[in-house]
Amino acid sequence: MILYIFTIIFFILSSPFFIGVIKSLKMFLLYKKPVSLFQGYYNFQKLLCKENIISSESSIITKVGPFLVLSPLIVVLFFLPPIFSKSFYVGFVDAFTIIGLISLSTFFLMLIGLDSGNSFGGIGSSREAFISSLVEPAMVLTVFSIGLMAKDIGVANASVNLAHNFPKEHMASFLFSAISFFILLLAENGRLPVDNPETHLELTMVHEAMILDLSGFYLLLIELAGSIKYIIFASLFVSLFLPFGLELSPFLAFMVFVLKILFVSVVIALVEINGAKLRLFKVPNLLGLSIIFSFLSLISFYVLG
Amino acid sequence: MMINFSIGIFLATLIVSILSTRLLKLIFWYGVNSFFLGLLAIFIGFKQGDSVLIFSGVITLIFKAFTIPYYLKKFAIKFNLKRDVESDVKVHFNVMLIPVLIVFSFYLVSPFAHTVGQNSNYVAISISSLFLSLLLLIEHISVAPKIVGFLLMENSLFLLGITATGGMPMLIELGVFFDLMMAIVVINLLLKEERAI
Amino acid sequence: MILFYLTIPAFIIFFVSFFEIDKAKKILPYSSFLVLLPIIYLFLVDKPYNLIGDYMIATKLNTYVLLVSSIVAIGVILSLITLDKRVKISKKGYIQFYRFFATFWLGLTVSILSNNMGIYWIGLELATLSTVYMIKTNLSKRSISEAWNYMIVGTIAISLVLFGIILIYASAKPVLAEDAMNFQLLLENIKYIKSKTLFEIGFLMVSLGMFIKMGFFPMSLWLANIERASYYPIAALFSGILESAILVGFFNFSSLAMKINPSGVFAFVFIYAFLTLFIITFLLFKAKDFIRLFSLSGIEHMVIITLFWVSGAHFAALLHFGAHAFLKPALFLSSGILEFKKKYNFAGTLKGFGGFYGNLFYYLVGFLILAVISLPPSPMFFSEIYGISAIFSIALKSKYMLLVLTFVLLFLFLLSIIFYKFIQVYQSMKYEGEEVEKVVYVNEILSICIFALATLSLLSPLAFNYLKGIYE
Repeated sequence: MILYIFTIIFFILSSPFFIGVIKSLKMFLLYKKPVSLFQGYYNFQKLLCKENIISSESSIITKVGPFLVLSPLIVVLFFLPPIFSKSFYVGFVDAFTIIGLISLSTFFLMLIGLDSGNSFGGIGSSREAFISSLVEPAMVLTVFSIGLMAKDIGVANASVNLAHNFPKEHMASFLFSAISFFILLLAENGRLPVDNPETHLELTMVHEAMILDLSGFYLLLIELAGSIKYIIFASLFVSLFLPFGLELSPFLAFMVFVLKILFVSVVIALVEINGAKLRLFKVPNLLGLSIIFSFLSLISFYVLG
Repeated sequence: MMINFSIGIFLATLIVSILSTRLLKLIFWYGVNSFFLGLLAIFIGFKQGDSVLIFSGVITLIFKAFTIPYYLKKFAIKFNLKRDVESDVKVHFNVMLIPVLIVFSFYLVSPFAHTVGQNSNYVAISISSLFLSLLLLIEHISVAPKIVGFLLMENSLFLLGITATGGMPMLIELGVFFDLMMAIVVINLLLKEERAI
Repeated sequence: MILFYLTIPAFIIFFVSFFEIDKAKKILPYSSFLVLLPIIYLFLVDKPYNLIGDYMIATKLNTYVLLVSSIVAIGVILSLITLDKRVKISKKGYIQFYRFFATFWLGLTVSILSNNMGIYWIGLELATLSTVYMIKTNLSKRSISEAWNYMIVGTIAISLVLFGIILIYASAKPVLAEDAMNFQLLLENIKYIKSKTLFEIGFLMVSLGMFIKMGFFPMSLWLANIERASYYPIAALFSGILESAILVGFFNFSSLAMKINPSGVFAFVFIYAFLTLFIITFLLFKAKDFIRLFSLSGIEHMVIITLFWVSGAHFAALLHFGAHAFLKPALFLSSGILEFKKKYNFAGTLKGFGGFYGNLFYYLVGFLILAVISLPPSPMFFSEIYGISAIFSIALKSKYMLLVLTFVLLFLFLLSIIFYKFIQVYQSMKYEGEEVEKVVYVNEILSICIFALATLSLLSPLAFNYLKGIYE
């Protein structure tokens, strides 16, 4: 139980760090002077000191919304797969619940965007709805096929099963769902081919457009929610698709886990510096690829046997 | 397991190259595709103790995975080919077409699945990759992606040769490689003349 | 060793093409006559005669096809001497034409004589790729785009052939192991094959690939466009040599398939051939220039040959094949002369040939055109009578007698439309349009004479007996 609590606290506390890793690695690779790895924490401190200014046009949603964005994600953290072999975990929650909770959080984020005083909020919300509606089918298919491979539909149980007996006979299927999930990870977290988290250009921004009006503590909550969402997806990815290291002693297992998350972050940084942002109407191409792969994974599970 | 893995990557790169819209990326994916094809040949060769297969896998690695993509890239830069290769078929249709083709090829294989033994699924995948590379050939108008499509078709035929028959005779493999080289030479000459006009 | 002698002329052309072509091209026809010596030797020895192990074998069928294609090659080389006077061709293009002609010839010699599916395929692919370059020597935008077209469609076709070969190999490997690519061994052991379906799919793919290359149903105008865009000798090479190699392959593969499922093969080829002929007839009726006309009629003859072959009339198919392989290149070569002044035109093209050579040419073209639509002295007349009677005899035995007979009658009707078109064209060539002075060179008239004589020699009892003896 202690390990379980520790895991959750670790997730919450470390999430800005991993976002910082991606950011500074990208800057380093682009020959810029990299920001500190702990820049996220400085930002939080800065935002805490600032006062909250709320547009007079907006309603109560803007005040309540940030909490409602963050809280489903915090709930999801309790259902994530374990990172230690003997730790407690909630096994019965299936992936569809997790997807639903994440969508709930996205829903409130979109409400905040619609509620804000400026016109960009609405654009951002509609774009976010567009992307997340495309993400959904691929996500369901991927999760379903990985559940089939692990012989359990519950996420945590699935990851433990995968760690103990890896489905060698379904290697192709496994690979396809990994590719599909990775694309989803990029799309859901607003990473580069879908959305550029670093610009405030009105033509392209998706995530930033929705939170343009927020400031101070509310902005902190949203930023924290973004980084927690990233850590949720990254930890799902590493525990479902890189399932090893669970049986080691707690300290080693923890180190292996951190290394795996770092690895994912590095891969994301590499993907981001190598590609340009897609036009919004080309995003369906990328997500179509993800749908094809998730479907293929399901087919090849049944046919390749 | 490694066989399963590399055959998966083979199919994955083929699908990515169907959906990709940049010529250099297309060539890169062709290289990756052939790289895993070569690895596959080597793995199966070791599994069956077939030295011919290992040899042709090594040749595939050297030529198809590195030399041909290198030269294609060089041609693309030298002859100033159009780098933006949009396909004529929209992605939405591709998203439906590709799974349909793959499922169809599994049905196509089912009447003779028992004769090729446990490899029948691999045969199905190689037939479906043949169809997919045909799709790549059909859906582009410009020449350069058609060349890549032709090369991918050659790859999937090689895959079929490996999986359905456990490797063709040495002489035939060498002949096919020779013809591939000849094709590259002819492509080079054609591009050169096209620029001269 | 014989194989070495057979390929010497091709190698000579290849090496000569690296030097000053203007003087050297005069000796090439003489050197190419050398190829007849080893072929005569092959005719005299006992067959099958192993050239290299059992990879390449001279059978009776092979040797006949080799002879036909070599005569075509000699004739084309003869007429190539004055190519630069007929069309605009750069010096470099001329040299490269010769060079790739040599590789083309080499590849097809290999694939005609091969007794192994793989080697057959390699030769065919080599020839295909070298044709791409020959098409392109005509430096125009049109011909380059057609060269790309040929490259892509040709390679798709040939990949389908390889696909089929792999499937056939897979189906026969449990019986014959590494020898499963050997045509002769496979023919003997075909009944032991366990998975008939796999073999049939393989045969389907092979024949689809070959049909695309021959210009059958969906690809009917493809070949005509390419031949139009390139220089006229290429069309002659296509119809004379390339199609012989493809037909040899089709003969071999289909005799394998006939042992497994004869009625299936007959039905497949019959339906496909009928569909092709149906479309070809109308395209041909609309044709407005010589190359398209002849190329479409070439597809028609391919249809007839394959149909005769699968209906068991081997003699008729081979006779028709020989006659077509001699007549069509001659027609293509003479179309270069006929179209010299004005392209895309039938009227009056046969007028204005003076002098001895001119008159000879006038009568030869008349002979060729009337022979290719199978008027009596032509070998095609006899082959069609034999072939149609063979189809009738199949029809009488089968359950679907009336259906087949109806289709045969429709078939004959379509052929008569083509007959009408050719007569019309001949009339318009002779009597319409105005007269323009034209010249014929000695080498051209010589090469057309060779073709005409070869066609007539097919009628001799010697040739008849040989052809009948191939499948006794």
